Amino acid sequence: MTDALWILILALLSAGLVFAFIRLARGPYLPDRVIALDLISILAMGFIVAYAVRFDQPNFLDVAIILAIISFLGTVAFAYYLERRV
Amino acid sequence: MLGEILVMALMLFGAFFMFLAGIGMLRMPDLFLRMSSTAKAGTLGAGLLLLAAAIHFGDFAIATRALAIIVFLMLTAPVAAHMIGRAAYFDGVPLWKGTIRDDLRGHYRASTHALETTAIPEEDRLPDEAELETRKPDLDR
Amino acid sequence: MSLFLLNILLALAWAALTGSFRPVDLFFGFALGYLVLWLVLHKNRPRYFRQIPLLLGLFLYFTADVLRANFRMAVTVLSPRMKLRPAVVAVPLILKSETATILLANMLTLTPGTLSLDVSTDHQTLYVHTVWLDDIEEFRRQVVDGYEKRLKELFEP
Repeated sequence: MTDALWILILALLSAGLVFAFIRLARGPYLPDRVIALDLISILAMGFIVAYAVRFDQPNFLDVAIILAIISFLGTVAFAYYLERRV
Repeated sequence: MLGEILVMALMLFGAFFMFLAGIGMLRMPDLFLRMSSTAKAGTLGAGLLLLAAAIHFGDFAIATRALAIIVFLMLTAPVAAHMIGRAAYFDGVPLWKGTIRDDLRGHYRASTHALETTAIPEEDRLPDEAELETRKPDLDR
Repeated sequence: MSLFLLNILLALAWAALTGSFRPVDLFFGFALGYLVLWLVLHKNRPRYFRQIPLLLGLFLYFTADVLRANFRMAVTVLSPRMKLRPAVVAVPLILKSETATILLANMLTLTPGTLSLDVSTDHQTLYVHTVWLDDIEEFRRQVVDGYEKRLKELFEP
């Protein structure tokens, strides 16, 4: 029962990842790709948290913190670049 | 046992909201609609997953860490959305055809990037929709 | 503000005296400290005792709004023909304080369906992108009555 649930959870996250990746490839504008990348990093964080719970490894949560910080900085840097380049 | 059911339910809802964010990202017709469906569905999904982790480990230090990430996400996601939205508006990303009204049109100064409540004179406005149509919609500008 | 710190100090004192620092004990200590402060000070410093219930009310309103709008967004995204009526709306800003404005913009963005785009340089107007604009006056009223008035009472005496 729990195994089936875990498969469902990971499958939902993977499907989200695939959709975000399609948007990353299709664009059509650069900001669209930036927000697709942002969503991908949040989904990666979701994966890490799910794995931390599944395999009882609380240390993985530190990775999630770093990923959240870095993805925010990356998005802000991209926004700066987009506004200046016009 | 009850705790475990709660953890699984929270994880399932969190994963579901992240899945919805992915679908919204794919199906929504313009950048602003995509942002409004992902910025929070993603945040809510991540928040629910982290809450599940906090309950699952049941340790005070770990729970604090998980709550810290939730607060951090809730503070930074809107800031990132605001910055990307503003930059995209200057960059000339068009709104969807079905958009009913756009109160922002004609209120940004193109020279200083300032936003003003009163309407801006014609010569200092950003290029409007008709002009944007002729532009190439991709990286190589 | 200093009363709030004093209240937290009372909560910590309660936890130290009972010797257990679980979150439940801290909450109970805070509630107990609040009661004591109210008994002693509610005549001299009435503002603080209005603020805590207001904060609680705002938090509950925000949570309910997030749940309701998330449900609506889920239905919209999953239905085969998405019903969208997007618009960028100028909402009058009655708040003066910067903190309150940031909180308002953040809360609006975290509510699915609305996205705060920018605040004008003269601090008069907030531009909000919404996914479902049913009626523009109704939308403005929801933002002003639901969020701005509460935030104004909380941050601007």
